[in-house]
Parts: sequence; C-alpha cells; structure tokens
Amino acid sequence: MKKALIILLLIPFLSFSQDFSDEDYIYLKRHEHLKIELNNDSFNITKNVSEQAEFLTSKKLYFANEAMHFDSFTSIEDIDAYTYIPSTNKKIKVDYIETKRDFDNGVFYSDQESKNFIFPAVTKGAITNLNYVEVIKDPHFLGLFRFATYVPTKSAQLSIELPKNVTIGYIDFNTKDIAIDFKKEESKNGLTYTWTVNNIEGFQGEEDSEDMLHYIPHIIVYIKSYEQNGKTTNILNDVSDLYKWYTTLVDQIDKNALENVYAIADDITKTLTTKHDKAEAVFNWVQNNITYVAFEDGLGGFVPRGAASVCDKRYGDCKDMANLLYEMLNHVGVEAHRTWIGTRNRAYSYFDVPTPMVDNHMITTAIIEKDTIFLDATDSYVPFGMPSAFTQTKEALMGIDANNYKVIKVPIQDSNKNVSTINSTFTLENGSIKVSESRALVGYEKVEFVSDYTYKKGDKTDEEFLNTTLALGNNKTKYTAFTKTNLDNKNSALVLDYELSIDNYAKTIGDKIYMNLNIDRSLANSNINLEGRKYSKKIDYKFNKHFTSTFQIPEGYKMNYVPKDLKFEHPNYSYAITYTVKDNLIIQNKTITINTLSIKNDEFESWNSFIKSLIKAYKKSIIIEKI
Amino acid sequence: MIKKTLIALLLITSSTSFAQHFRTYDWAEQPELHELSADELKASSIGILNKHIVEYAANIMSPSPKCYETEHTIIRVNDDKGIARHNTVYIPMYEVKKVIDIKARTINANGKVTLLNQDNIKEVKNVEEYGDFKIFAIEGVEKNSEIEVLYTVEKEFDMYGSQTIQNEYKIKEAQFIFITGKLNSNIKAYRTNVNFTDTTIDGHIAKSLTLKDIPAMIDEEYSTPNANKVSVVYQCFPSGQDLTQDMFWNNVSNNVGYKLFPEKASSKVDEDIASLLEGKTDLSTYEKAARVDNFIKSNFNIVKNNNEELSDLDYILKNRSASDFGILKVYANYLKALDIEFEMVVTSNRFTNKFDPDFFVPGMLRDFLIYLPTEHKYIAPDRIEYRVGEAPFNILGNYGLFIKSDLSHYFSKITQEDPNYSVVNRNLEIAFDDAIESATLKGYQEYTGHWSATNRAVLNLTTEQGIKEFKDYLTGSGLEDKVIVSYEDENTEINQTQYNLPFIVRSTITSESLLEDAGDSYLFQVGKVIGTQSELYQETERVNPIEMQYPNEYNYNITITIPEGYTVEGLKALNIDKSFKSRTTNQKLCKFESGYTLKGNKLVITIQEFYKVNEYDINDYEAFRTVINAASDFNKASILLKAIE
Repeated sequence: MKKALIILLLIPFLSFSQDFSDEDYIYLKRHEHLKIELNNDSFNITKNVSEQAEFLTSKKLYFANEAMHFDSFTSIEDIDAYTYIPSTNKKIKVDYIETKRDFDNGVFYSDQESKNFIFPAVTKGAITNLNYVEVIKDPHFLGLFRFATYVPTKSAQLSIELPKNVTIGYIDFNTKDIAIDFKKEESKNGLTYTWTVNNIEGFQGEEDSEDMLHYIPHIIVYIKSYEQNGKTTNILNDVSDLYKWYTTLVDQIDKNALENVYAIADDITKTLTTKHDKAEAVFNWVQNNITYVAFEDGLGGFVPRGAASVCDKRYGDCKDMANLLYEMLNHVGVEAHRTWIGTRNRAYSYFDVPTPMVDNHMITTAIIEKDTIFLDATDSYVPFGMPSAFTQTKEALMGIDANNYKVIKVPIQDSNKNVSTINSTFTLENGSIKVSESRALVGYEKVEFVSDYTYKKGDKTDEEFLNTTLALGNNKTKYTAFTKTNLDNKNSALVLDYELSIDNYAKTIGDKIYMNLNIDRSLANSNINLEGRKYSKKIDYKFNKHFTSTFQIPEGYKMNYVPKDLKFEHPNYSYAITYTVKDNLIIQNKTITINTLSIKNDEFESWNSFIKSLIKAYKKSIIIEKI
Repeated sequence: MIKKTLIALLLITSSTSFAQHFRTYDWAEQPELHELSADELKASSIGILNKHIVEYAANIMSPSPKCYETEHTIIRVNDDKGIARHNTVYIPMYEVKKVIDIKARTINANGKVTLLNQDNIKEVKNVEEYGDFKIFAIEGVEKNSEIEVLYTVEKEFDMYGSQTIQNEYKIKEAQFIFITGKLNSNIKAYRTNVNFTDTTIDGHIAKSLTLKDIPAMIDEEYSTPNANKVSVVYQCFPSGQDLTQDMFWNNVSNNVGYKLFPEKASSKVDEDIASLLEGKTDLSTYEKAARVDNFIKSNFNIVKNNNEELSDLDYILKNRSASDFGILKVYANYLKALDIEFEMVVTSNRFTNKFDPDFFVPGMLRDFLIYLPTEHKYIAPDRIEYRVGEAPFNILGNYGLFIKSDLSHYFSKITQEDPNYSVVNRNLEIAFDDAIESATLKGYQEYTGHWSATNRAVLNLTTEQGIKEFKDYLTGSGLEDKVIVSYEDENTEINQTQYNLPFIVRSTITSESLLEDAGDSYLFQVGKVIGTQSELYQETERVNPIEMQYPNEYNYNITITIPEGYTVEGLKALNIDKSFKSRTTNQKLCKFESGYTLKGNKLVITIQEFYKVNEYDINDYEAFRTVINAASDFNKASILLKAIE
C-alpha cells in the first residue's frame, strides 16, 4: 500500500513535458507550505518543506549530501528522508542524521547549525525524498522562497495558510520571464495563497556578477499585521514598524560605564575645535583601535554590545562599532545616529520589503553642518567622509529617536575621488628596459591596495607582491627600491615608488627597437564572455587612472614611429591615449575612466567593444632606430 | 564550595607521587613587554614564547596513565595583519576529558594589561568534521601588544601524540617538555639538529627540547611547507609496558589486515559483480580492476561523519555509503570476488605529513590506497577523479605501509611506475588574416596521466560556470581577447576501462592581442601561445626542498604560416636550451628545449619540456628554477613579421 502511494506521488512530477535530460541532477519538486496560526497575541508558524530530486546520471553523487540549516530563530523537526529506486521499486530510509555547527571563516562565532545526512544508495535513476518541518520562532523572519535553485526544478511551489485576521505582504523578484500560477483560496477558517512555477532552469553564480538574489526568481512574504478584538497590531506593515522593532532592540543595549568611553572621546578630541575635526578623530580612533570580529548570535546578533565593553575588549562587529561611534560622537557634540543598511549584495528597498531581510550591516551617520556623513569603521582603510564602497547606492535607515527615522541613499562616490596617478620614466640600458615609476592612489583605489597589501600579501615579499598584483610588463619584471608613503595616513594619497627592470621586453631587430609603453594593462582581462552569460557585471567603485609615460630616446637613436592617438568615448567607460614627441622624449598620456557600478546585460556588447578597443590600443608600440 | 571540594579531590588522587607540573606552572604575575629587534618589530607578528608541556602521570587508580597538556604562548602583534592572525583562539577539545584552566591576557604598548573575561569563552560543538572547540577572542589587543595564552587540559590516555613547533611567523623561543616519570616512552624531533636534554621536573623524569629563533615557515611554490615544519612525535606506554615500533606496525597490519582481507567475498556482492562484468569472461586483470573502480565510484558515496555503521560491510552495501575506511572493505570484497591480488596501503598526504616508517604515530595514517602488485598500479578509493593507475599526486613520494593478504607488511616509497605517465602533446597551426590583425590557432592536444584525470574530473563534476572557465584554460590561458571558434573534446567520460587513455581537445581560437602593430611591420607574440608560464621569483633564500605536483612532460609542435609579402625576423629568441642532469646517472632530469626550422613560408617551432621526477634537492634549486623560468622566457618571445620591400 505504501509503495503504491509513492508511485502515485511521483506521477504528477514525472509527466511534465519539458525534459532536462542533459542534466545530471534535477529537482522534481520543491514545495514549501507555511502555516501561520495566531493564539491570542502569539504566533505559531511552521513551514513544511517537501523536496524530491532525481539523479539523471551517476556523475554527481555528491548531491546526495543534504544539510538543513537552522539557528536560534528556527528549529528543524520531523525529518523524513529516503531514497527511492524506481528500477527495483526499493525504498531506503535515511537512518543517520548529525547536527553540526556551521563554520564560516569570516564569522568568529555564529549560532548557525545544520542537520546533515546523506541520501543512501543514490545512483543513476535514484529519486530522493525529503520532508521536514521548520518551526519559525519569531514572526519577523518568514524568510524567502526561491522559485529556482542551482539545478532545474520541475515544480516549485510556495503556499501560505493563515487565519483571516492576519494580513500578509508579499513581493516577488526577477519573475518577469517566468510564468507564476497564483491562487488565493478562502476556506471557513482562513486563506491560502499559492504560487507555483513549473520547469524552471537552474541558476548558478557567474564571474564578477552581482549576488544571486539580484537574478534568481524568488518571493518574500512577511506578516503585516493582525486583528484581535477589533484592534489591529502591526508586525511589519511598513518600514516604520521595522524601525519600531529595531528601537526595542536598541533599548536593550548595555549603557554601563559609558564614562570610560566618554573619557577616551574627550581625550582624542581635546585639542580640536570643529565638529568636523572631532568627528574625524573619533572615527579614526575606532577604525584604528577596534578590530572587526564578527558574531551572529540570535537576537544578540541584532543588539549592539555596550560601548564600554567594546572599548575594553578592543574588538567588535559592525553594530558594536556603530554604537561605539554613536556614543562617542554624540558625547563630543557631533550629531550622530545609529544606522541600519544592506550591503550591495542585498537587492531590496525598505519601502518594498519592510523586513530585516533588507539589511545585513550597521553603520553610524553623522550630521555636520547639514552634511550627512556615513561612517563605517569596519572598513579599516576608508577615509573619513567616504562611505564604505560596498554600501554605495544603498538605502540607509537612520534612527533619529524612538519614533523618528529617515531613509536616505548612500551616494555613489564620483570617479574623481578614486584616482590612480601613475608617472613613469622609461630608459633603455643594454636592451633591457628600466622604468622609474611613482603611483599615487586616493579614495577606494587606495583602500583596495591597502587591504590587499595587508591581508592578501601572504608570505610574499613587497617586490613579489607588486609583481603579481600590478603585473607591470610581464611576470619577469623585477621591482627594486620600493617605498610607500602614507600607508597609514588616511587623508593623503598613498604613494608607491619603485624601479622596474624588464628583460625580454623591448625587441631589437636589425637597427630598430620596438617598445610598448603600456606596461600597465588595467582592464585587459575584463572582457565579458557572452556565451551563456546571464547576469550583469558588478563594479565595486567608479575610478580614474591617469598615466604619464615618458620614454627617453637613447643616444645614437631617433624616433622612427609613434602610434596615432586613440580613444573610446562612452559616458560610463572611456579611455584616451595621446603621444607627443619633444626633443629626445616620447610622452604617452593615457586616461581610463569607469563611471558606473554595473554593466547591464544590454550593455555587454558596448562594454566588450570598449575593452577590445583598449586592448588594441595597448598593442601599439613605439619604434626607434639607429641614427 | 564545589570548587574547593574538587581541588581537594584532585589533591588526593595525585598525593601518591609528586604533583603534576601544570599545577605549579604559571605565567609571570606581572607581564612585561619583551625587547625586540628592529627587524622583529617590522614583522606582522613574532612568537616570543611557544611552550608545550606534555605530561603523562602513572595513575594508581587505573591501568592507563593520566595525560595533561599545557600550552603557553606569548606573541607580539605589530600590525592589523598580526592582530587578525592571533586575535581569535580555537582550542580543540578532541580527546579532552577536562579543561583544567584557560586564561589569556594582553599587554598593550603602554603596559596596560587586559585579562580575558572567562565568561566570553564559548563552546562550539561538532564543528564540521573538526569536533568540538573552546573559542574566544583576545581582549584589549592593539597594534604593538603582546598576547599571552596559557591553558591546560586533561586528555584521554593515548599512547601517541605529535606537536608542530614551527609556525608561519618567527618564534624566538620554543620549548617542548615531555614528562613521563617512570613510564617508558619514545620521542623524536623532525627537521632540527638540536637534541633533547634529559632532566627532571618536580621530581619526574622528563625530556626537554629548546629551540631559539625558529624562522617563519613560508609558503613557496613547488613545496610542501606544512609538512616541512619542525615538529615532535612521541609515545608513552602504560606502567610496565614497553613497545617497539615493529610491534606497533605488526599490530596495525594484523588489525587492519584482518578487517580488509576477507577469506571469501560476501555473497551480497554477487549481483554487483555480474552487473559490472556485463557478461564478459575474458577480461584482463587491469580491466576487471578498472570496472570495479568505476562501479564503486558510480554507486557509492564516501561520508565524513560520526556514524560508526559506515564501516560495516552489510550496512555499506545496503546504503551505498561508507567511511573512507569502510569503502576499502567494498573494494576488498569485489577484488576478492574477481580473484584479483591486492595489497592495502596505509600512508599520508605528503603536503601535510612526511610518513616515517621508523616512528609509529596513528595521526600520520590518514590515507589509504590499494596496490595491485601484478599490475604495478594503484586504486585511490576515496578520490573520485582517479581511476586505476599511478598513485594520487598528493601521496606520490611519501612512504606507505603495504599490507599483504597474509597480513605481513613492508614499507615502500610510493613512486611513479611509468616515468611518462603525464604528458601533454600539443600541435598548433597558426595563420593570420589578410589584414594581419588577427591570428587563428588551430590546435590538437592530448593529455595523459594526472592531466587527463584532472581534466575529466573538472568537466564531469563542476558547475556550468566552472566548465566555461575550464574550457578557457584548455584552449590556451593568458590570451585576453581570445575567441573560441570551435571546441571539441574526446575521451571525456570519467569511467574508463583502457589504461591511460588520452584526453583529447581539438579547438580553433582567434586572437588579435597576439599581434602588435609596429609601423608597417607586426610583432607576433608567439611565446604566448604556450599559455601563461609560472615564473619563480626568488629574492629570499629558498627554505623548502622542491616538490612538484608530479613528473610531467610537454611536447609542442607549432607551425606558423607566414603571410604572403612578409618575412620573419627575430627568430633567435626561439632557441632556448636549459636542462639539469642527475648527479648520479648523468641523465637529464628536467629540461626546456625549443628550436625552429624555416621552410618556405612555414616556420616550425618545436618545444620539449619535462620533469622526470617530482622531488629535487634544495641545493639544486637554482638549476631547477632556470628550467622553470626558461618556459617563462619562451612565453615572452615574439617574432617580427616584416613587409618585403
């Protein structure tokens, strides 16, 4: 009898017309059913998850590994999992499930755990079945449902069953190219909403693209409010409810021993008179003295730790640093506000999705003479006055007081704030090229270099690090006499000076020497491979690069050929190269500007023609010949 | 109150002899900053003290001794990188019976001391496959602070242990103290000339090793830095016992062998055997073994968790899931059923451990292979990408304990049987368009050995994006503007029954960036067609001996059609000949040799590059580097296409 039931269950999902026969593994179904119950003023929320997948080949048996994640807001119960082998009509149950602590290198301590098991006896043709219940303990976290996942899904469905006195909100994303079958059914006791999508392809990450949630079709549902005895109580009706909830969390911050914090703030600002200078000093102090250590720990993951404790321990996560800045700045007379924000990975607006899903980060906003300054001390190298690069374009939810807040957009930083200025002098000695170069970096150009230099250099020497990161000339280029100025000084340009010697670079053939001045080939690898490309290209920040390369014609030689001036013009990306000859000098001026944070799919061709044109320009050599 | 009782109890149990050392060992009451040299202050972090105390104490209450481990470290952190490296502490709780004490403090540049708040020590359970940990973040740390951590744990009695002494940062003083009292013990240190000194500590017989100024172990190309660190291994036996290394190894062969050499194959494998043979009766031993390997890797999963049943044959056969040990039983039964002779090999990954036949430590015995003595070939049961052939590259060169079916054993270095196992043959035909703007490269490539195993694995196991990137690599890396016009591959199926069948790629690509304008002539960057070549950039003295991934060879044949109306110049750069001979046999061990012939409008370039062995002495580093860099030199070669006037 049981067997018959299994077969019956399989039929609807096997009979779809579209086949994914090229695939190794597909989901036959991924269904979630949310059940919301209200007892007096407390919610009982459960999510029944039912998944069925098929191994079309025996290549990727590793898909048999299953993990159900949970944390202090959820629990996983009633797991029923088994493998069904159609050819032998056998059913093999999962009999061993292990709870593990998830470990993410970037997070020091997290309450994330998972229930893990492996489906037994999978091979070509095997069908795996998984059913479980996820208990959602807090009505603010209903989560999201992905219509698509990393492999194709034949039937994806979300349904929600709720009493009539509960109102929910829902919004779907990236669904314009798929057909969603939506149903709203009413029964005696309540309502059921159902969204179904059939035969949806798999979505996998791509190089240099935005986060998956910018593309993958999904839906977010949340509880707006409920009505009880004629009274309406809001949960997350709009952003003001979200803010109200956040203020209840902020109220739990430990305010003990703040005098110690104030003493430090007073000390570092005692000689300063303007608000701007005071704010800058406080920001620099927190940036330099508090080390970022990430915690994710239940509601504690939402409540900043007390400022005094963070000061003592000298470490904290984003919210701890944000709260410390808030206390210190207000104490020295600078208006400052705790501010919630999503990084660029989060795709939502507070106004569309008034839930904690919008943000994943916390900063401090200072208001100084009508200027709004976003302060993110988790970015150890960003200069005062600039937001962290990964918060550009995002909405910041700035808390003013218990009832008032403001949502403001973090502005995109202009390309002329993030500039590299490179001056190089080329000389030729016995066929080998010597270059004396000075590279001045400001804004995010500097932030990026300093972070890489600090955390990605590994065991490399400075010279080897430059060889691999700047990649000037070729990988045989030798770097000597390296000096760096203002690595720690946040307000001044970082200046890198070094000498280069590049063997096998200039070509001497007959009486002529061929020499390419484009030793820096920025963006040459940025062509987008269009084959099967789905997602737009993400750019971290706008920038300018200015190169001045001066070649000294050695004695006994004269100029034979200098390439024509070249350029590519587009409002979002451009370059211009010019050559001038003056006495025994050949001077190349080159400017590259990137003026956008994203290359959308319809711009790919244009972007690729920009890159192609730039590579073509990089190919042009100068020629000198013997007199 | 409870605490007091506990201490009293502890005192009673140890009152029969002298107290254990950890009870009196402590850090300085008042910490002080240490004097460091200017160079030491430039490093991100410096180990000032790194002390390990392992103490075995005979226990009259039970047959096995008690075992305590104390770790005491003082580290100076000078910058953000140093802080990030040391400000979180993870203490493994593997085999820990009881935490005796954990404490930590920081002294900053001004002398301010911050003591770790014990409440902030967190416990995490079953972290992935690493077990339980106590974790905490160091409090009060700033640039130029010293971090001091001292903890003692009581561990389950285990006869063996090991401790890595060297680290990724310099350590000014390291000490390993091994207190065993009257118990019999053995201890050995690797990669140091300093000897242990005999001493007594608190009345107990002990050995102590003190090392000064241990340099940072650095990550170098072609090396196994983690396995090359200074380290200590030890054994300590229960009262009255003394075991030789031979006794240990015999014990392993008997115990492991007993489980892995069935007298008769289980009848439960009959059906699988029939299915994998597909009715064929005249198969060679090699093909039978290959079919077993293919079948198991297409039907079984290897699982890392604590489920003990994963090494039970019946459970494994039913669930088609096994531990990395359990899967050996499956192989053993299938091979037995097919009457194939095999040996079990216990060994370890050479990138993490150098297997020592002269000292038994189970921690070294983490990898298993199956050896087919009649075929001189290996099966790597837990490596999805490998099929019957040479040993996996991460094992190659390590010693192994080979256990035979009669449960006798021998040690042997795991070497490559076939010196030409991994070869890349590449033929390229290059032509230019009429405008000499673009080059077309038509290629035929054959990959064998480890190359083909990797290629097949990637194409079969990775994601679409991964495949896209891999095809880019297979058609020539380092060409910025490459366009793949056509791509075909052959013999991509991961399950093969023919020995070392080549993986074949036929492709046509075009690239404009290979041609540089130079007035009315063109520079053709011919060197780039062999793909990006690694350059060994060496400014500091080489630390590690050379260990390549595996012996390998490349043979290139590049034919360039010179366009009408042009001649070629600058061909001299194409002649490179660098090699390095074995001191003993005078045979070339590694070589890069390139040359050309010019016939009419065809320029033919041939290249042979090989590395016959994967290990080279550190004294031969410069010679080795010259060969590696010769390929990188060729990669920079360009020729001039000059208009005939």
